Amino acid sequence: MGSARVRGIVGTVARLGLAAVFLVSGVLKAIDPDATYVAVRAYDVLPKLGVELVAGVLPWLEIVIGLLLLAGIATRAVAVVSAVLLLGFMAGVAQAWARGLSIDCGCFGGGGAVDPAQTTYGRELLRDAGFLLLAGWLVVRPRTLAVLSLPGRRRERV
Amino acid sequence: MGGASRNERRRRQEAAAERKPAIDRVPGSGRKDNRVKVGIVVGVVIVVFFAAVYIVMNRPWGLSPQAAATYPVSVDGVVVTAGQPAAPVAIDVYEDFLCPFCERFETRNSDALTAALNEGKAKVNYHALNILDARTTPPGYSTLAANAALCAVPAGIWPAFHARLFAEQPAEGSAGLTAAQLSAIGTSLGAGPAFTQCVESNGNAAAITAATAAASANPGLQTDGQFGTPTIAVGGQKIDVSDSDWLQTVLAAG
Repeated sequence: MGSARVRGIVGTVARLGLAAVFLVSGVLKAIDPDATYVAVRAYDVLPKLGVELVAGVLPWLEIVIGLLLLAGIATRAVAVVSAVLLLGFMAGVAQAWARGLSIDCGCFGGGGAVDPAQTTYGRELLRDAGFLLLAGWLVVRPRTLAVLSLPGRRRERV
Repeated sequence: MGGASRNERRRRQEAAAERKPAIDRVPGSGRKDNRVKVGIVVGVVIVVFFAAVYIVMNRPWGLSPQAAATYPVSVDGVVVTAGQPAAPVAIDVYEDFLCPFCERFETRNSDALTAALNEGKAKVNYHALNILDARTTPPGYSTLAANAALCAVPAGIWPAFHARLFAEQPAEGSAGLTAAQLSAIGTSLGAGPAFTQCVESNGNAAAITAATAAASANPGLQTDGQFGTPTIAVGGQKIDVSDSDWLQTVLAAG
């Protein structure tokens, strides 16, 4: 049972780590909607309405994902959503890099155009790949420790 | 169907539930648990959906028609003054037509500012600068657009032209709009041939650069020793416009 316990601990660390990432990035985006709008717009992918939508919804989606991961609710489903989101972020950064745009990813607030010398696309992609690894672990092994028990979950009939 | 038979049916259902094999109700076993999870996920999807609808309905450039500008506009050097010259409150707006945060400021505040200017409650001195000239290829869109906005004052189209420059703001790193494209926008708003000639000649470029240098070096317009656009100032001192009530506060103080 030793390795199962280790896996449980690794999964718990992955879940709480990913929760922290999404909570921090979501809150930083939510408190500065203008910066978030500018950051999303700088990827130069979406039309105005699309930018408005993504900039408006993304921070709250990240916060919800963070809270669900923190509580350990529907971990596998949430991990799948996280992985899809992270792949989307990586695609956005990769296209900016490939097209020669000079932007900051705005992953944790901020963002927008920067001087060409200040771009850090490689580091941003590597970081997202690390987060994707955490999400991937939770998709494969969603059972972790320290999970909030839901009403109905532990109900036993007497 | 009478109440008695309904009760009878319920009793029978409950009795059937009691007889079900206990395995269905092992603690933590799938079904009920999954239903809660699915419920949460569906709930999240619904919340996100309504958030999206809310954003679309409330987008500032959407459904509500923009109030038409009825205020006078004048130009002094490279400063455009919008509103009654004798208005009790003077607000200085330092902006760059390529700056995305300036587009945000315009989008958020143009309706309220237009109303205040129309009602004579305030006037706004617009300083169009060129701090982002290097952010287009070829460089110089900020200057070209700032000059074109100055040309729009004698052409009598400044409020609409100023709004269009932000509505059609090119991306940083792009080519920007050409003089011909800027002229076409002005012409579509009713400007005559003198406007096109004024835009093409870019005659205010040097004065715009000088005004940019002066604004950048003005300590009253800096935050932590840095100048950026948009900067909004009252009485020569930069004010914080992140609070959505900033305009009411300024108008009340005036």
